[in-house]
Amino acid sequence: MTAELHPQHDFEFETQDIFVNMGPQHPSTHGVFRMVLEIDGEVVRNVVPYIGYLHRGAEKLCETMDYRQGIGFMDRTEYLAAFNAELSFVMAVEKLMDIEVPERSQWIRMILCELNRLSSHFMFTGAFGVDVGVFGTAFTYSFRERETIQDLFEEVTGDRMMYAYFRPGGLAWDVTENFVQRVHEVLKSVRQGIKDMDGLLTDNEIFRARTQGVGVISAEDAIDWGMSGPSLRASGVPLDIRRDEPYLRYSEIDFDVITGANGDVFDRYHCRVREMRESVKIVEQCLERLTQGPILPDRMPRMLRTPPGEVYLRTEAPRGEYGVYMVSNGGNRPWRLKVRSACLSNLQALRDMTIGHYVADAVIILGSIDIVLSEVDR
Amino acid sequence: MTTEDTAPAPDLSATIWAEVDRALSGVTVEPEAGVLDLIVHIPRNEVVRGLRALKNDAALHFNYLRCLTAVDNEADGIDVVYHLYSIDKKHNLTVKTTLPVDDLRVDTATTVWRAANWLERETAEMFGVRFNNHPDPRTLLMPEDMDDTFPLRKDHPLAEIQVLQGEGLAFPGDAAGNEEGA
Repeated sequence: MTAELHPQHDFEFETQDIFVNMGPQHPSTHGVFRMVLEIDGEVVRNVVPYIGYLHRGAEKLCETMDYRQGIGFMDRTEYLAAFNAELSFVMAVEKLMDIEVPERSQWIRMILCELNRLSSHFMFTGAFGVDVGVFGTAFTYSFRERETIQDLFEEVTGDRMMYAYFRPGGLAWDVTENFVQRVHEVLKSVRQGIKDMDGLLTDNEIFRARTQGVGVISAEDAIDWGMSGPSLRASGVPLDIRRDEPYLRYSEIDFDVITGANGDVFDRYHCRVREMRESVKIVEQCLERLTQGPILPDRMPRMLRTPPGEVYLRTEAPRGEYGVYMVSNGGNRPWRLKVRSACLSNLQALRDMTIGHYVADAVIILGSIDIVLSEVDR
Repeated sequence: MTTEDTAPAPDLSATIWAEVDRALSGVTVEPEAGVLDLIVHIPRNEVVRGLRALKNDAALHFNYLRCLTAVDNEADGIDVVYHLYSIDKKHNLTVKTTLPVDDLRVDTATTVWRAANWLERETAEMFGVRFNNHPDPRTLLMPEDMDDTFPLRKDHPLAEIQVLQGEGLAFPGDAAGNEEGA
């Protein structure tokens, strides 16, 4: 790479590395993230990331709240995929208390989580387009789709982003009567949205030239850095918790685990877009299987008390593994709660991916990991 | 959490304990049945050796560090907890090591997985655990000058500043209110 960037001359320029500070207030950092780039001309020689600007101590706060109150904090850690974040938390409580969730609730949870994955990936494709330089159309189209999905979420839960809808044992209340019909409407719109993304970005010659071969990370390195989700699968590692350790009713659903071949920026983008089609497939199958019935088990206690023990519960969120490590000492609140953030581990690999590339590429490499700083900092 | 007082030996036949026991020959190890995954306790001076053996063992091949954190058990010390996963074998293991309150030191696991880097930095600043030979021992989420307060310890108050009085701030235990000024 560097050899191409520095053609051989008969003489040598005296150059000096300079430091460029990007962030914490920078449009390309998707939140409050700061990285100090050491650059030689246009080429990045070193990257030092700084995080923590959004640290609110959600883990400590959850140790002072009972289990139902803690659900709201999970929404606020991962606000672009709040259903997935809630799911890990409530499933950890269910695992500790050994609660069986009614079938209807499980299907509704799956539908909402997959729709949330779609809305999160639409957010990614739109914002990533802006990072690459496709400002405007792709961004507004993807936000149009995200908005239709969020309208549905608002009808079901009463809130656009901070749902607090899942409860240990099931759901807060049943979905609206026209839920199935509304999901079908949303899916119809989403299918068109994915096609639009393909037309505007995936098949775009300039977009491909800009993203292919940039920010490559090998499968071994990605595993060693603890990456997960589409960012890991783009390097060719078929790690998907929905398939490998099925939770809810994913084992009864037919879907493919999407992997990439090269582990570059384009693959990380393309994996997400292809994954959206799989999510649509999953939601369609869930709708067919959705049954009537109760949404909470009989005899749920008013005050939840977990027996002493610990559990590390992980689910496949849009950005990767969202893990909740919950230690209980028998009380009505967790003794220790740790949120395993997928973005934090993915972000560790940023330095490896960026060194040797242009400054402009540092922006799209960061964009391709799809970080949510609020989840990184918690 | 020590639960192995007089409890009968847990039934570990359905877990990967037999394999783990074989891979960890020469390391002091004590198993415990977890809700989802098998838990093993390893003394702190052997834990990194054990982790490396678990990663390099051909049959177990724990090549993925899911999570690394700590739990403050007050008088019982601080547990450092490693959640391991094998991407090709698809099994999980939780490794725990207990550090006494007066000497919170353990070797770094960054030599086994690079993923441990930031997770150890976070654990260090939140609990005051010192990871020996850590390649980058700076704070991660906290400000750089906050190297003597450990927010996730149980003795750390949830909110330092409790009352807002007039123009100054009153701190707990500060009887005269804002005598010193804030």
